[in-house]
Parts: sequence; C-alpha cells; structure tokens
Amino acid sequence: MNSAVQPGTLSASSRKAGREVEVRGLWKSYGEGEYVVRDVNFALRPGEFLTLLGPSGSGKTTTLMMVAGFENPTRGEILVDGHDIALRPPEQRNFGVVFQGYALFPQKNVLENVEFGLRMRGVPPADRRRRALDMLDRVGLADFTTRKPRELSGGQQQRVALARALVFEPDALLLDEPLGALDRKLRESLQNEIKELQKRFGISILFVTHDQDEAMMMSDRIAVMAEGRIVQIGPPSDVYLHPATPFVAGFLGETNLVPGTYQGMDDGYAVVDFKDAARGRVRLPADGRSLTAGEAVVVSVRPERIRLLTDHAETTFAGLVADCTFMGRHTRYRIQALGQALTVSVTEWSPTSALCAGAPVWLGWQAEDAQILSGPEGALPMPQEIVR
Amino acid sequence: MSASRSLRLSGHALLLIASAPILLFLLLPSLIIVPMALSKSQMIQFPPEWISLHSFVDYLGDPQWVDSTLLSFQVTIVAVLIGAVAGGTAAIALHGRSFAGKGLLVGLIMMPIVIPVVIMALGDYLLFAQLRLLGSWVPIAVAHGVLATPYVFISAQAGLTSELNPALVRSARSLGARPTSVLYHVYWPAIRPGLLAGSMLGFAVSFDEVVLALFLQGANAVTLPVRTFSAIQYELTPKIAASASLFIALALVALGLQALAARKTGRLS
Repeated sequence: MNSAVQPGTLSASSRKAGREVEVRGLWKSYGEGEYVVRDVNFALRPGEFLTLLGPSGSGKTTTLMMVAGFENPTRGEILVDGHDIALRPPEQRNFGVVFQGYALFPQKNVLENVEFGLRMRGVPPADRRRRALDMLDRVGLADFTTRKPRELSGGQQQRVALARALVFEPDALLLDEPLGALDRKLRESLQNEIKELQKRFGISILFVTHDQDEAMMMSDRIAVMAEGRIVQIGPPSDVYLHPATPFVAGFLGETNLVPGTYQGMDDGYAVVDFKDAARGRVRLPADGRSLTAGEAVVVSVRPERIRLLTDHAETTFAGLVADCTFMGRHTRYRIQALGQALTVSVTEWSPTSALCAGAPVWLGWQAEDAQILSGPEGALPMPQEIVR
Repeated sequence: MSASRSLRLSGHALLLIASAPILLFLLLPSLIIVPMALSKSQMIQFPPEWISLHSFVDYLGDPQWVDSTLLSFQVTIVAVLIGAVAGGTAAIALHGRSFAGKGLLVGLIMMPIVIPVVIMALGDYLLFAQLRLLGSWVPIAVAHGVLATPYVFISAQAGLTSELNPALVRSARSLGARPTSVLYHVYWPAIRPGLLAGSMLGFAVSFDEVVLALFLQGANAVTLPVRTFSAIQYELTPKIAASASLFIALALVALGLQALAARKTGRLS
C-alpha cells in the first residue's frame, strides 16, 4: 500500500506549498433569515492540515463549498494571500477539491483524469502529459495510467483523485468527507495515505469530517463547528484537553458533565460545589477563565480519568455501580453518583474490575483531570446524543 | 438448489407457452406484409402468388414513391435533430435541479405524447397556414420534431440520472472547466447513450407518422406514410406492401441500434 513512499522525495516535506487561505466573517443563509453558517473565521496557513469537525448540519460542508466556490456566501470574505475571491466561480479559483466517492471521470482513464486540470488551464499536450505522469509516479500509480477508474481499488481511486487535485499546484486542497462512505479498516489506511501525501507535498489541506477520531489523527488544528459557528479552534490536544464548551467536550471523545456552582478561587484552583453542597466540592484548574462567584458552571471529567476505589477517602464521592461492560481493552462502568449517571472506564485489572451491579464504590480524580466549562450555553444545546 | 432451479425453469417454460401466441398474434399482421410484397399479382392480395420482386421494382421505378421516400427520410432526420437538441438540452437543464413549476415544465415537454395527434395536427395546420408555410416539408419536420422531443427527453433524462454523478460537475469545475467544457467532458459522455436510444425512438415515431403529415401535406410534401395511406384508399397497388416492408426493416434497424445503445449504457454503469 505504501509504495507511494519514496525516500528521494521526502526532502520535499520541508517545502511549504500553497498559500494562506483566510475566511473572514462568513455567513450563509438560504433565505428567511435562517443562517446555516454564522460568522465563521479561520486562516488556513501554508502547509497546515486544518479540519472542520462537527455533526451533520453544523455548517462545515457549506463552509467548505463556499471556499470551493459552489455556494455563494451571504456575507463575508474568502482571501487567498490577501485577495478576496468570494465572488469568483469555482473554475477561476485554484483549489484541488476531493469529493466523497472521489468523482473521477468514469469514461476517462487514469492519465486523462490527472491531466484534466492542466488541460483546462491550457497546458500544451506534451507538457501536461509529462507533468501528469510525473505526479502519477509520485503517488505510486505509474503502472495504472491506462486503467479506467472502475478498474481501480478504493485506495488507488483516492490516489488518482489526490493526484488530479495536486497536479496543477493548487493553493490548497479541499477535502469533503472523502472517507465518509468507507469501512473502518480501509478508512484508517487511507487516512494515513492522505497524511503521508500532505507531508510529502507540503500542501495545505482544509478537511471536513464528522468523525472525531479522524480529525484527531490527521489534523494540525481542529475547528469544532456547531449550529453554523466555530465553537473552538486549536490543536487536537488543546481541544481535547481544554474544551471551551460542554458541546466540544462531549463531541471530542467521551466525557461526564456535572453541573455545579463556582464558589471562588483557592490557592490557584477554582472551587466548584456540585449542585447541592452535600454532594461535594471539587477543586480544579480555572483554565484562565474569569468567573464570578455563584455562577453556574459545568465540570467535565473524561471516563478514563476517574478512579474507582472500594473504600472511602477524603476527596471521593460515593456511588453505586449501575452496570458494567467488559470491552476488551477496558471495562466500562455506569455509576450512579453526584445525582446522575457517570461513565467510568477502567483499563487496569484491579479489585474494582470485579465490581458489578449494585456494588457501592467511591470515585475521585486528580484536580488537573477535570475541566471547568462555562455554564448554560445559550443557543447551543448540549449534544446528549453524542455523549456516548 | 436444483429444486428451485427446475421450478424456475418450468416457470420460464410456462411464461413462454403463455406469451408466444400473444407475441405471434401481435407480430403476424405486420409480418404478413412481407410475403405480400413478394407476390406476382398486380393487386395487393392475400394469400400472395409467389414469387416476384416486381412490387419493389415498381416502387423504386415510380418517381412519386421515390420522392416520398426521400422526403420522409429528410423530414425524419430533421425532426430527430430537432427532438435531440430540444429533448437533450431540456434533460440537461432540468437535471438535478428542483424549482417551483418543474413538474409543470416536464408535463409540458411530455404533452405531445399525451394529447391526441389530431388536435395537434389541427393546431399546427392553423398555425402554419397563418405563417404561410404550408406546402413545404418544413412544417411536417417541425411538427414531427415536437413529437419526437418527449421521447428523446425521457431517454436522455433516464441516462443522465443513472450515468451522471452530480459531484462530477463540481469536480470538473473545481479543476478549472468552464461551462462549455463541463458540457463536453461531463454531460456529453453521460447523455450520449440515452440520446442515441431516444433518437432511435424518435426516428421510429416520426418516420411512420401519418396524421400530422396528412394535415400538413402539400403538392411536393407527401411523406411515404401519407402516400401509402392514399394508395390504400385509391389503388391498392403492391407498392404499398413494398413500402411497408421498408417500414418494418427500418423499425428493426432502429430497434437494434437502440438495444445496442442500451447495452452499451448497461456496460458502462
């Protein structure tokens, strides 16, 4: 599969191809004042892999289609190296777009597919043939030039689609859920291949997906979208470890959200009382938020960060095991505690692994393993269906 | 599963036994004309007195009949061209779009199939009389073009729906293709088989159409079906059988080409 890796071309990874693509104050409405994209701002830096991540209907694909030119923004600017291209038709922009299913021309062979962008740009036949062959060689498809797309495997089709999008030296690649329809195993290998090609060509990529694992694995930065807005943008570790809102915490990975009240600062830690004080009080990093005492907040704790104990300690909360599921690599517990059901994931084999329904437990976590999130989110409902 | 296989086989046999007589009944009246064309008799009659080619010789020797035949080809080819351009472009224009009144528009395109030909013929007659165009073959070709359009449209539309992935259009545009290039590189390969099949249907419809051609005929604009029709009324010459054989042969050719186009479509998808 990785015949595409050629040591000689690896030096290209240091070269940054592509230009800066900046989106400023982008809005999209299909009329009646209902906006599917609201005030979206981001900059795709040269050589960067930026992912728009969000559930369906979050506006991520519409945003990508506006950058590609297939949708007209209601308001806003799309800048390539500072020039606004928002009003240009797609054929006058210079992006390589890869669609779900790849959309290769079925009647054209591999070489003709890859040549197409150059042909449309008026590159003379001999020249475009040479460049297309060179590109096919670089993606490891030199022996498949006369095949028709239907005679290729899914992975080969993806490489043709990428070669076709790369050959005319685009300002950036725009990828619209290219792996959405594939099974898990193939998807992982194709993710690796995209990442590999991106490093090798140093091209900037704007990637759209609803799959958080895919986003985590591939991106330099992730822009989490919900209801037409970018809720948070940052490197995967940042977004995962310091989610800005309960929505982000719930959408990227799994989390437990416990409502509480902010009491004040103590020794550099924020102090939060869970709902009624009897349920407990926690200290956790304030994450640079400015909060006022008495403000409603949400505490987020990842299932794998919660420790289960069989005996009481000072900083723990009492709970009752509702059910447990052995998952192979870990065991999942549903535990009734703090007035709600919490999910806990335990990897190591310990006395607590044998616990099951009805057993009383104590649970606790390190102060640093919990995040404080601003309270009720206004327009953004918490994605209950996504908090698995 | 040999049991279910034999069951299926016997099912096929039953179907054959039931449908063969029906097919025979439908086909025989058309096919009977061929032996009649080979009759020695000076009148058209059944059973024929075999065997002579004189009806074909008479047919080809009569300038009026030859003119009508050539005119029919001319009318039909122009009609099919009109139908292919109108039906094909309509199919492309409506493909993948939804807007208020689309159903109405499609209904309008399909209308020539639905409304009685006599009514259309009368309307066309009055229109072309007003335009002082009657007497030439052009009105017949135009009227037949209108008639052929829905057949091409349906066939082209079906072809586009099954062949054309909408992402292809976007993909081509993102690669720098202007609208004309999109038409040539994306729409044309997808629509070609359907367009060909629809044109064959249109050809068959136009070539033996008699009502419109009768209304719009002129001294020098008598199509072969109209000539045949009049001949049946007045002279009952075996030339009728000869020309009818030509109709059958053409229909078979059109049908064969259409099947070929359809098979090509199937192989592509």
